[in-house]
Amino acid sequence: MILQLVFQIFLIIVLAPLLSGFIKKVKSFFQIRKGPGILQPYYDLLKLIKKDSVVSNNVSWIFHAAPIISFVAVLAAGLLIPVYITQLPLGFAGDLIAVIYLFALARFFTALASLDAGSSFGGMGGSREMFIAALVEPALMLSIFAVALNVGSTNLGFISRTVSGMGIDAMSPYQILAFVALFIIAIAETGRIPIDNPATHLELTMIHEAMILEYSGRQLAIVELGAMIKQLLIFSLLANIFFPWGIASQGAGVSALVLALLVYMIKILVIGISMAVVETSTAKWRLFRLPELLSISLMLSFLAIVSFIIVKGG
Amino acid sequence: MSEVIFGSKIMQLLIAFILVSTFMILGSTRLYSCVRAFGIQSFLLACVAGIVAYSTGKNDIYIVALLTLIIKSAVIPYIFIYIIREIKVKREVELYVNISPSIIIGGILVVISYYLIRSISIISELSSLALSASVSLVSIGLFIMISRKKALMQMLGILIMENGLFLGAISLTNGMPLLVELGIFFDVLIGVLIMGILIFRINKTFESIDTDMLKTLIG
Repeated sequence: MILQLVFQIFLIIVLAPLLSGFIKKVKSFFQIRKGPGILQPYYDLLKLIKKDSVVSNNVSWIFHAAPIISFVAVLAAGLLIPVYITQLPLGFAGDLIAVIYLFALARFFTALASLDAGSSFGGMGGSREMFIAALVEPALMLSIFAVALNVGSTNLGFISRTVSGMGIDAMSPYQILAFVALFIIAIAETGRIPIDNPATHLELTMIHEAMILEYSGRQLAIVELGAMIKQLLIFSLLANIFFPWGIASQGAGVSALVLALLVYMIKILVIGISMAVVETSTAKWRLFRLPELLSISLMLSFLAIVSFIIVKGG
Repeated sequence: MSEVIFGSKIMQLLIAFILVSTFMILGSTRLYSCVRAFGIQSFLLACVAGIVAYSTGKNDIYIVALLTLIIKSAVIPYIFIYIIREIKVKREVELYVNISPSIIIGGILVVISYYLIRSISIISELSSLALSASVSLVSIGLFIMISRKKALMQMLGILIMENGLFLGAISLTNGMPLLVELGIFFDVLIGVLIMGILIFRINKTFESIDTDMLKTLIG
């Protein structure tokens, strides 16, 4: 149990920068550039950790606490999401509602810290982030609920175990609608192109980058790693709720675990490639058009629940 | 009988996708993508008819499915694109109700039609999913007719309503008599042609197909 917990934390922290680097590499492949190496995010993080942070004199304790709280909240959510095995290290402590609220907690503290330094960019980023969050969170909750209703449990490990046992029967309309909804949410949550541009600093349209503009050095490293981990976790949600086949169940042998780990990494990389395709094939949207995209996602997850109720007779 | 056909997984998927394509029409701001979504919806409808034909073994429904495929998902979208190209209309859908509220209203209409269908007590004899999808298609088509300014979108709205009626008819009766279906197809095609001509006339008189302009006086 303890071993699994430590290993899962280790795995999440190690894989998250790799995924970021991989997506950057795929994007530069589509843009016919060479692009930075896959390992570049590790080098960036190591360089940042070695440096001191420069902090404004006017900030309060929130500015120092926020990166750590956000990081720990995201990491704790990682222990409630099935990664390569359906048995969750903290499965006794919470379910998908806890996951959504841990993400919300991380977001809340990042937004709070962005206001704390009193820079105009920070406040702008914080207000935009909350504007998007107001639409993203209900859609995230509804889309996972559509699947949870089908399975009859809100425990994510149980959901992915049951769906993987269903075989082709799992391809029901509500499952597919919820998948599309959650894919749009994943674009929004990981700050990718129709919503936010992860590649640029100092642009008037930035959202996430504007919030963390005041951070430097070690604190920036923690914030960036937290964002990468969140991206990995959202992808794991997509992979393990909708395509859980190949996931290891409780009490699997070592060879089965290794296989499950490989399958998991392939799934994550495939989702990463599709994200990169979406990102290179669309342009960034105007901020005030974003509610249209997000309300489509909200409505798809809503339709998923309605069609579930119609089919199963509520 | 009908529950057996409409309860199958592939049918549920098709009907859910028909609903999604309706929301694609509701959510897009370009005329071309609306027409494309309508084509997709009609194609899915033809698939539904094809499956009904296959599982009931009635040969005349195959003809209905084929007619749906040809007329609704090829000819009518072509007429639309022809009109858009000929009158050089601005390619944006102009709205009275914005995109995100209209998507939410669409969702509410789906729920309302579901409750309407559920309150019918003969529910065990028909497919609730297909029937409530058909009622929501009719109401969303009506909503599109009300909330869009361009006369083209009103034409599209009435065609969506017709698609909804077709889905309802085929889910209730496993296909109406072929003669009736042929009459309906002929009506729809002639209706589209007449509406097309009417739109040309509106465009000629008002130099716009914005129905807002119809209320103003022309001296």
